[in-house]
Amino acid sequence: MNLKQILGDRETWKGIFIILALSLAIGAVSNLSLIKKFLQGEFRQAFIARDSYPGLVFITRLEVEDLWHNQLATIVDSRSVSEFKRGHIPGAISVPLEEVRSGNFGLLDRIPPGRPLVIYCEGGDCLTSLNLARLLHERGFRDLRVFAGGWEEWLAAGLPVEKEDDSL
Amino acid sequence: MTVFKNRYFLQLLRFIVGGVFIWAAVTKIADPLAFAQDVRNYRLVGQALSFLTAIILPWVELIAGICLIIGIFPRSAALMISVLLLFFIILVAVTMLRGIDVDCGCFGTFSRKADLWLILEDSLWLVMSLVLLFSPANEFCWLKATKKTF
Repeated sequence: MNLKQILGDRETWKGIFIILALSLAIGAVSNLSLIKKFLQGEFRQAFIARDSYPGLVFITRLEVEDLWHNQLATIVDSRSVSEFKRGHIPGAISVPLEEVRSGNFGLLDRIPPGRPLVIYCEGGDCLTSLNLARLLHERGFRDLRVFAGGWEEWLAAGLPVEKEDDSL
Repeated sequence: MTVFKNRYFLQLLRFIVGGVFIWAAVTKIADPLAFAQDVRNYRLVGQALSFLTAIILPWVELIAGICLIIGIFPRSAALMISVLLLFFIILVAVTMLRGIDVDCGCFGTFSRKADLWLILEDSLWLVMSLVLLFSPANEFCWLKATKKTF
């Protein structure tokens, strides 16, 4: 059998069509509730089911600004220490996800309990803020607000910046 | 090589390749959202396409794997599996070149990093799958759906 014979055989295409059609049908039917949630816009920012993570929400820059300005929330920076040192939202606490993941759970003690948390990372497609929020959720934190726009959006808006030198 | 014409050897290959695909599919079907996020993390497609991939691709893998093992359209299944593996290899290579650090998403929660080892592993499955695809003695079917024998 060579590729030309295989591709020229109607049986090959019939098989592919049947396998694809079956997959499409079963995939759609078995995920009806997820499809409904998707169409309602639940997974716009990330693929997490709201009912599995009560208290975890995504917020915009304006909401962050408001919470930050009125000191209504603790701001948590999930990026690496070096990124944090180069510049962060004033007053933010550094809790690098990669360090927590590698076993440094003591870092979580920096987060005061009972206050709303705003978590951010670099921005764009960065994931550490969401993953840190998930980890914190598993540890009992319940008011978690992920700022998906992250550092890039904060910086682009010309908002105040704190650097390592300033905070010393 | 005569070993490639030995139907028991070919059946063994079908069990291995089909089994890997069935296992990979089951781990993803168990948690479509986690898989959708894994797809999204490759930063190749947006939310909608990631979601669509996550609800359909695992079923393609599952059905193709089953077809390969029990011999319903084994040639079609081998072709689809080969194309998928080739795509996965290219995807992981491109992702590595782009410097994106992601979990492969290949086996649900058992996934590991998309790295060189993954490319080697996928290449191994691809070689097996190609042997099945081009083998002239791939007519050993438990459920014969095709009249022709190749």
